[in-house]
Amino acid sequence: MSERMTIPSTLSAAHTAAPNEYRPVAVMPDVRVVKIGGQSIMDRGREALFPILDEVIEARKRGIQVVLLTGGGTRARHIYTIASELDMPTGVVATLGKYIPMQNARMVQMLLAKHGGIYIMPDDFEKLPLYLQLGCIPVMSGMPPFGYWEKHQEGSRIPPHRTDAGVFLSCEFLGAKRAIFIKDEDGLYTDDPKKNPQATHIPRITAQQLIDRDLPDVVVERVVVEYLPRSRWCKEVQIVNGLKPGQVLAALEGQDVGTLITA
Amino acid sequence: MTKLVTGDGRTHIQSQLMRESLQDRKVLSKTNSVRDIQIFPDVSMVSIGGQSIFDRGKSAILPLVDELAAVKKHHKIVIGVGGGTRVRHTMAVAMDLGLPTGGIAQLVGAMEELNAILLNALLAPHGSMPMQRDHFWDLPLYFDAGITPIAISVPPYHFWEPPPLEGAEPMHGSDFGMFQMAEVLGMKQAIYVKDEDGLYTKDPKQHKDAKLIPQITLEELMKDLPEENILDHELYRTWSEARNVKRVVIVNGLKPGQLTKALAGENVGTVITKGAAS
Repeated sequence: MSERMTIPSTLSAAHTAAPNEYRPVAVMPDVRVVKIGGQSIMDRGREALFPILDEVIEARKRGIQVVLLTGGGTRARHIYTIASELDMPTGVVATLGKYIPMQNARMVQMLLAKHGGIYIMPDDFEKLPLYLQLGCIPVMSGMPPFGYWEKHQEGSRIPPHRTDAGVFLSCEFLGAKRAIFIKDEDGLYTDDPKKNPQATHIPRITAQQLIDRDLPDVVVERVVVEYLPRSRWCKEVQIVNGLKPGQVLAALEGQDVGTLITA
Repeated sequence: MTKLVTGDGRTHIQSQLMRESLQDRKVLSKTNSVRDIQIFPDVSMVSIGGQSIFDRGKSAILPLVDELAAVKKHHKIVIGVGGGTRVRHTMAVAMDLGLPTGGIAQLVGAMEELNAILLNALLAPHGSMPMQRDHFWDLPLYFDAGITPIAISVPPYHFWEPPPLEGAEPMHGSDFGMFQMAEVLGMKQAIYVKDEDGLYTKDPKQHKDAKLIPQITLEELMKDLPEENILDHELYRTWSEARNVKRVVIVNGLKPGQLTKALAGENVGTVITKGAAS
């Protein structure tokens, strides 16, 4: 019987022989990877979105490289509800979930077009250097491209990797240290501030502390909290309140506003 | 008629998940049910090993093509192929360069595709076609026309490959990709065609005392999953959480007739079942 034909290479055994030798290279570490929330921002319309875009444009003028990714929001929740009733597999639900963040990204692009807003597809990361050097603001869907290959998670039919995960994983691939999530809250509180006036803001918390609290609800997708400790580059997730003027620009300039979840 | 709901600064569409946090476990559990719809329950997934079959060249590939040409007349199958040693070489170079995990995941799919082109070239006279990434809704047309689709085996995780549990190599390869396709489409079974008689307690190429596991349930197997495994660990992890695929078979593609028997539902090679005892 024939033998397996292998490719002889001095490198072929190198990584298995010495796994610690892996010295990762950051792809585009200076890029700010920023999510614009779906339900929290996009579904609020002009009143919420326009001031945020003004601050993004201002940051871009100051030379800060920004990539915007969008969330889904209420239309995603609507299709998830109907798909769940129909017993659709998680991979089908995840595929349905791709379309709404894409619409939102296109909306943002139309608004930013005159300021260099450009709609990009998932595979366009390789063209980012050009776009950013030209002063563009690339806008894309935050949904990871897993689609039908999204795994089912026990106890739910909703895809575990949604737009928070997509933003985090984009940041991790690009080699940036911090992913910025623009939402309609200041970040984490000790309790729901809308119900409990005693609740205090948490400016900084580690992913492990967050996991240990085992909260029934968290401010970002659980997989992001799970991945943070073992990521190579993206070591911080920042949640800022896009409804408060100045917060987005401060975050884009690297200031510790809102809540930081760290690895 | 579905209503648009306003009043809190946002515009919602009336639905069960309206205003809700999709991180809330109680909310998430509302979306769950016992079963998924089974979209293609009469189709089998056939995954052909890269290193185990294709890297052996003509003498291993041609007899298998003959067998595929024969079985495709009687069974609805979707075929996928692995990439083999070229994938390992890509990984070795990429790791040495320090490319990020997502970058490595983006690269490797091209190597599998080469084997898919070879297989298509050999199987096309018998009726085969490459299937675009997720063009699953074309499948009824393929089967009605007697065409066997050859699918892309590597899952589209690409730049978004999550940080691996250990090391920097992507966890989601072609074994997982083909399994997940079978899972999401509710297929009858997934058959992995390799160069061993099935799953052994350890690598039979290295250990003479390795024992073949002819039949086992996934639940039993997970209690003591062989570290040296003919399939990727990610497949077993995913299957444990999955809900549709009930049967995975590993057969020896170097022994003519094994694949045919597996497709006919016979217990050959290693048969792993989930749920009910095998």
